[in-house]
Amino acid sequence: MTASDNKRLRDVALLATLVVLGFIMLVPLMWTVLLSLKSNSDLLQSTANAFHGPYTVENYAAITKSSGVFRWLMNSVIVSGLQTIGVLVLASLAGYGFARLEFPYRDQIFLLVLFGLAIPEQAVIITRHQLFTGLHLHNSYPGLILPGLAAPFGVFLMTQYFKAIPKELDEAAILDNASRFKIFWKVLLPLTIPAQATLGIFTFLGSWNDYWWPLISATRADMFTLTVGLSASQINFAQTSGLGYLMTQAVFAAVPILIVYIIFQKYIVRAVAGAAIR
Amino acid sequence: MIGPFKKRTPHPHPLPSSGEREFRAVLMALIGLTLMSCQPKSDVTEVTVQRIFGECRANVPQGQAPIKNPDGECEVVTHLLDEFQKANPDIKLKVNIAPWPGYDQLSAQFASGDPPDIATMHMSAMPDFASRGLIEPLDGGFKEVSLDVDNFTPAARNGVTIDGQVYGMPFDNWTQLWHVNMNLFAKAGLVRDGQPILPRNPDELLAQARQFKAKTGLPYLLQPTDNERAAFTRNLFTYLLDQKAVVFSDPKTIRLNTPEARRIVNLFKQIYAEGLMAPGQDYPAAMAAFLNGEGGICLVGTWMIGTFEAEANTAGRPLYQGYTVKPYPMLYGTEQAAFVDGHAWVMPKRDRTPAERAAVLKLMKFLQVHDYDWARTGHLPTQKDVAQSAQYLSLPHRNDIVALASTGKTLPAGVERQFAIQDIVGDEMASAIRGHKSVDAALSDAEHRVNDLLFHVLSRQDR
Repeated sequence: MTASDNKRLRDVALLATLVVLGFIMLVPLMWTVLLSLKSNSDLLQSTANAFHGPYTVENYAAITKSSGVFRWLMNSVIVSGLQTIGVLVLASLAGYGFARLEFPYRDQIFLLVLFGLAIPEQAVIITRHQLFTGLHLHNSYPGLILPGLAAPFGVFLMTQYFKAIPKELDEAAILDNASRFKIFWKVLLPLTIPAQATLGIFTFLGSWNDYWWPLISATRADMFTLTVGLSASQINFAQTSGLGYLMTQAVFAAVPILIVYIIFQKYIVRAVAGAAIR
Repeated sequence: MIGPFKKRTPHPHPLPSSGEREFRAVLMALIGLTLMSCQPKSDVTEVTVQRIFGECRANVPQGQAPIKNPDGECEVVTHLLDEFQKANPDIKLKVNIAPWPGYDQLSAQFASGDPPDIATMHMSAMPDFASRGLIEPLDGGFKEVSLDVDNFTPAARNGVTIDGQVYGMPFDNWTQLWHVNMNLFAKAGLVRDGQPILPRNPDELLAQARQFKAKTGLPYLLQPTDNERAAFTRNLFTYLLDQKAVVFSDPKTIRLNTPEARRIVNLFKQIYAEGLMAPGQDYPAAMAAFLNGEGGICLVGTWMIGTFEAEANTAGRPLYQGYTVKPYPMLYGTEQAAFVDGHAWVMPKRDRTPAERAAVLKLMKFLQVHDYDWARTGHLPTQKDVAQSAQYLSLPHRNDIVALASTGKTLPAGVERQFAIQDIVGDEMASAIRGHKSVDAALSDAEHRVNDLLFHVLSRQDR
């Protein structure tokens, strides 16, 4: 067997392994979609009924007829979108500052920011809730968006990314009489697009899937995000007689995220690959 | 010579240009809209209603009766609130639907000082809120709207009364029942005169369960054993009541390390060990198993009656013409006993106008009057007149279970943290029944954990 045959064999084995692993990862998703296309009464008898027809879109029709679902969708888009933009702006500026600027107690402040990574949300939820009560921010978009803007992971990621960019680029721009902001905006920021894409998608994903804070901050139905709204829509205990509907909710909530991922996947893959190489 | 220009006299009423006209029209419209929105709405009282039971507007188009699943919890409550709204145009109901069980949101609303005007609450959760002064006692209010508390069934009244005061309008009582697959029971030779033969003591239970398994090859009992262990707790409480055991010597002290409790846990352990109960089933799996004829008796609540009855009326299904439901058979005593819980409507404490308060009480009165509609869901009625009515008793199987509205018992009203207690006890029972712990150790641990939990609950004067 020649070396090229060996390589081909290895490639085929690798490909087969990846296909199997990919399939295993897809199984839960396919199962969810399959269940969502079955009537609830069929699934009540047995979930094995999902493997054969008849299939129906009645659960999707029921979701769209739900009185609040489009409002919740819009709320989720607004909250996740603005939170993502906010995090990208703040984390980029902070990251640039920590990576490039000299100012008193810079390292100590950076360390303080990193402590944020170690503090779970549960530890601060009561004080945060009380603070927002005092500020009358519950049941409002700022109330849902602001907590997510404190993103220590984002600051850390962007700081590291800015640090990895050669300082010679800044120096060349300074020689061309560029201002600090111009260097940040025109020279360095474009180079951080892959990191921003990664941070953006993780922030969007986290915000989209967030349940707890919207659950206790948005207590009015018109301010529910999709996760809370869909959860409130569940009909009976353990949703025993509405499994198809439950799965449809999951699919419905996942579709926007899927779209975001499809749009940005080029950047995400590039960023992950870049991080691996680096 | 060019004389001085004659100064033009402005037209007293110049014609506006077309652009100006449009601008003015828009401005007037905006002012009109603003004024309209600023009009006092003194004739409409807004009331925020917070409930569980899900969202099903697709099945209940606004202003119409349910077009699908008319006896479902969500459909009935949605329609009831619609009907109230239609009958009371001077009251605007703003309905919040909270994810089950609703207490994360409600607690957050209390914390932020903005609770709803009326909310659903489990009777077992009411002591937690009443002891903190978060919900209003309603005796006086009920008198104002002639809401007769003497019409409450004993189980309902017991469930909403704390320290002698009524804190809620009971919506239902629910309890676990023995749902029976009569087709399999017949096959096992456990039917007499069209009724299932049920055990009268632990020995009979074991004998009949063995007979059932021998004749059908299937487990006698189906109940959730994994992930959802509340069923174990409810079994225990019901059979402790059957033995007239004192479960709580006072609201802060549970007694589980007792011969009565040991008897029950040992019995279920034996049932499990002999394969007379299906192992490894979570809640949906146990329900599906019963629907598919994979066991004789399903231990689950009143809320499943409608689902099982529908199967009993569907040709070709395992339950077709072969379903009935009974209260738990008493194994130790002779008087019917059952642990029950229930849903109630409460009025959270907050600043409200007399009109808002009156509107809330009016809604509670409306819900009392429509108790029959809610009882169609399978839950036990909370009003004596409904429980005794021919209309209610003509519903499937209600004759068999209606006595529980009188005999059912909640935990003592002063016991707080009942949800947590249910989890702890169920957890320990599951450990014992599945053989992970000795029965003595499990009951001892359960007792210690519950009492520790209750010890750390602040007393009212400490708050």
